[in-house]
Amino acid sequence: MKHFLFILFFLPFFCFAQTDTTITYTTFELQEDKILPSYKTTLIDSARSKTALTLAELIQNNSAVFIKSYGTGLASISFRGTGASHTQVLWNGITLNSPMNGQVDFSLYPTVFFDNVSLNYGASGLNAGNGALGGSVILNNGVNFTPHFKSTIQQAAGSFGHYTTSLSSSFSKNNWFSETQLYYTNQQNNYPYKNNTEIGSPIETLDNAKKIQYGFQQAIFKRIKNQTFGVRFLYYNSDRNLVAPITSRTTKEKQQDESVRCLFEWKGNYKKLHYKFLSGIVKDVINYEETTTNNKSNNETYLFDNLINIKLHLNKNIIINNNFNIRYEVANANGLTNKKKRFNNSWLLGISQKYNRINIDVINRFLMVGDEQQPVAPNVNMLFQLLKKKELYIKVNTGINYHYPTFNDLFWVQGGDANLKPEESKMAEMGLLYKQNTPFINTKTELTAFYNYVTNWIIWLPTEFGYWQPKNLQEVENKGIEASLELSSPKAKAIKISSSVHYTYTLSTNKKAKLNNDNSLEKQLIYVPYHKLSYYVAAEYKKTAITYQFNYTGKRYVTSDNDWYMPANYISDLILSRKMELNDKFNLVGSFKVNNLFNQDYQSIAYRPMPGRNYLLNIALGFKK
Amino acid sequence: MKYLVYILTLLSLLSCTKTELGPQCEDCPKEPITTTNFTDVLIVNEGNYTNGNASLSFYKSETQEVYNNVYSNANSGLPLGDVAQSALQIGDKLYVVVNNSSKIAVLDANNFETIQTISGFNSPRYILPINNQKAYVSDLYANAISILDLNTSTISGTIPTNGWTEKMLLHNDTAYVCNYNNSKILIINTATNTIVGDIATGKGVNSITLDKNNKIWVLCNGGINEEIPSIVQFNPTNRVIEKTILFTDITHSPSNLTFNDVKDEFVFINQDVFKMSINDNSLPSTPFITRTTGSLFYGLGISPINNEIYIADAKDYVQKGDVYRYSYSGSLIHQFEAGIIPSDFLFFNQ
Repeated sequence: MKHFLFILFFLPFFCFAQTDTTITYTTFELQEDKILPSYKTTLIDSARSKTALTLAELIQNNSAVFIKSYGTGLASISFRGTGASHTQVLWNGITLNSPMNGQVDFSLYPTVFFDNVSLNYGASGLNAGNGALGGSVILNNGVNFTPHFKSTIQQAAGSFGHYTTSLSSSFSKNNWFSETQLYYTNQQNNYPYKNNTEIGSPIETLDNAKKIQYGFQQAIFKRIKNQTFGVRFLYYNSDRNLVAPITSRTTKEKQQDESVRCLFEWKGNYKKLHYKFLSGIVKDVINYEETTTNNKSNNETYLFDNLINIKLHLNKNIIINNNFNIRYEVANANGLTNKKKRFNNSWLLGISQKYNRINIDVINRFLMVGDEQQPVAPNVNMLFQLLKKKELYIKVNTGINYHYPTFNDLFWVQGGDANLKPEESKMAEMGLLYKQNTPFINTKTELTAFYNYVTNWIIWLPTEFGYWQPKNLQEVENKGIEASLELSSPKAKAIKISSSVHYTYTLSTNKKAKLNNDNSLEKQLIYVPYHKLSYYVAAEYKKTAITYQFNYTGKRYVTSDNDWYMPANYISDLILSRKMELNDKFNLVGSFKVNNLFNQDYQSIAYRPMPGRNYLLNIALGFKK
Repeated sequence: MKYLVYILTLLSLLSCTKTELGPQCEDCPKEPITTTNFTDVLIVNEGNYTNGNASLSFYKSETQEVYNNVYSNANSGLPLGDVAQSALQIGDKLYVVVNNSSKIAVLDANNFETIQTISGFNSPRYILPINNQKAYVSDLYANAISILDLNTSTISGTIPTNGWTEKMLLHNDTAYVCNYNNSKILIINTATNTIVGDIATGKGVNSITLDKNNKIWVLCNGGINEEIPSIVQFNPTNRVIEKTILFTDITHSPSNLTFNDVKDEFVFINQDVFKMSINDNSLPSTPFITRTTGSLFYGLGISPINNEIYIADAKDYVQKGDVYRYSYSGSLIHQFEAGIIPSDFLFFNQ
């Protein structure tokens, strides 16, 4: 209720001035230092963000990172063969991973709430914080002090009772910047699917799959000379039914998620010094209920994240980076008997140097989690320009990172073990990057080979005592290849074409026997596809645009002995859109999206059917001044 | 570069021909099995909760041949369901209780083909035939025992209970039912289908069986670190507990108390497998069959024709488990792989 009042309080702020148009995207300050990153990263920009409704869908279609989707609700991520808790998720610098299970539900992030997403692979995750054994996902919102006012109101309606309304506005004047987003979605998700557990696979309709979510984001920033101050607030509330697998349809689960995020940011520079202070609170509440068994749980977590970042530009070629992160984690849940708290602090010290055509970053993170200390978590990155006149680079990156056990691992009743060790990952990668801009086409090609070895990987194993227990018993070797190609035609052309392909081959192998006659030894980890490919091609002519996107997820095993697998799936989407200028201030964009164009019957996870061909119509009214 | 895009587009169009849906077995033999005889054993593999990977394995003890996924193979590749709990043979029919799919699959005992699927349960556990007309089905969440009409394969009524009912025993027209979460045995008059009394035992009553002297033995696992587990023997005629043998460690969780053919000795799982006589007054100090590293003994059965002991090893629950076949004296005869979480054994009676 309190949150609702807060929303009401802010409503007048943008209502009186409501107008606006195409989703207004501000200039990004993503790469604060305008040099090429010396590690592997994928940037999903604002234009692509518009093609998806949730973060899960966006990452699935714009990278080769695997999203494990349970159909209508719940989606987790797997980077380079690692587990869902091995990916750190940051929202404008603040960690979002739950202190209880270390994960983030990617189905709960509407794309309207952020401007772009960058995916950082492998050891480069250390830059963002400890815990990223596979990579990190960074959600960014831009701040734009160029005087402007823009606003877009959108209404989408689609198959299976889908309605989404959103509003996004931003304005800037006299070095003030404000942006507001509002979001509401109501989805019945009562889609037909093939029931492959019955003779003849009859078509049935998905039941108990409703989802209602609403949310609100407000940011206010002020620039004074070379300093900016700002606050950003985000709230969402989601009420959904969790769809049971086809094989157990009497199960009726529902879950309510509520999240409040608030951050304060102050950054600026003084002579050769760049500084940034961030202070944030993330509160997440999850209420779960299984109605037939009356099984309920209530989890409440708080994260207090504070960041002090000081960068010293010694000269044109040397930057010294100091990063203090003081994080306090709190969790209160039925399964944890009493309130659990701990500090999860770290200090990063790094030096970036440039010699001619070589950039080298050397960083180390000093971790202090609870009573434990880990003074050495290093990362070395190198970027070498091979030819003087060509943008052809070699990237080499190596590092060690740790993921500390979560509160569930440590304290869950029954089973939690307070003596668990942190998971440790040793990572190395090497890649080639080639960029070429011609009058006809701009290309960016990247090829990376990666390797990481995770020891003390925590897995929950059954015991003779009738419950499960986490143990530092797994060792996993992940290796593979990532290839990507991005094409775009220069802005001046009449027909604008852009396209990208991302492909990953991942071998994720269990290297340690946990028992005699262990059939999972030397086998591929479950739900890690060997092959994953996504690509899109978009063409824009005058005011009409067409986008085709394709997503291939290869075979992945569902049992650790690799006896059973899920077959590969190939999903295509088509988006048509047309823009109309109503006058010099207003415009209207209509878009029509066909998801799963070829109506593939598929399951991402065993016995959890995904929707067949479905449609989404979206009308956006924009205003710009 | 554009050609690459065209090629990829074509590739995705080609994909329209794909037909596989849902989990597929990599190298499993797909041939159905046809006949069974009384030396054969059916192994119920529970599978993982919510993963829908329960299965049936079939073992010919004479030839030591193992056939996995026999249900699937006999029923055009369909999955058995989610968490197969137990199986029972009545005449030519097999009744497989699939707990989290809330159903009982009625199969032809000769070829595993589905005859009928009985739905309408909540979370069924075990089935107890009372006479030719009816059987009782215990349930985890229904707060009731379902009465199954064996002629029509429909639920004809319920007996309200308080909480979780587990294994059952029929003796002299009276049904004795483990009331798992209430530390007691419910006594049911099978003529009237009413609860006529109960006997207090320890927490977590998971096994109930009859010895040669017509005394009833139950095993209580003590819950999860709630109580010392115990073996309780009572006299059904006067409902008096005659013997209680306590375990030594509160963390232990014994299960599967099972008698031999002449019902004078029994075995049970307590991490390892132990063997006892009905005349013993204390637990054996050494195991009869010892587990190896990473083994998790999860199910146990004794063949009524030769007293051979079958032990199910669920391992880490996420890969196929092993079954060990021992002679009654404790020597290993055969070890083979079954499905995920093997748990219950059914010895064919024809």
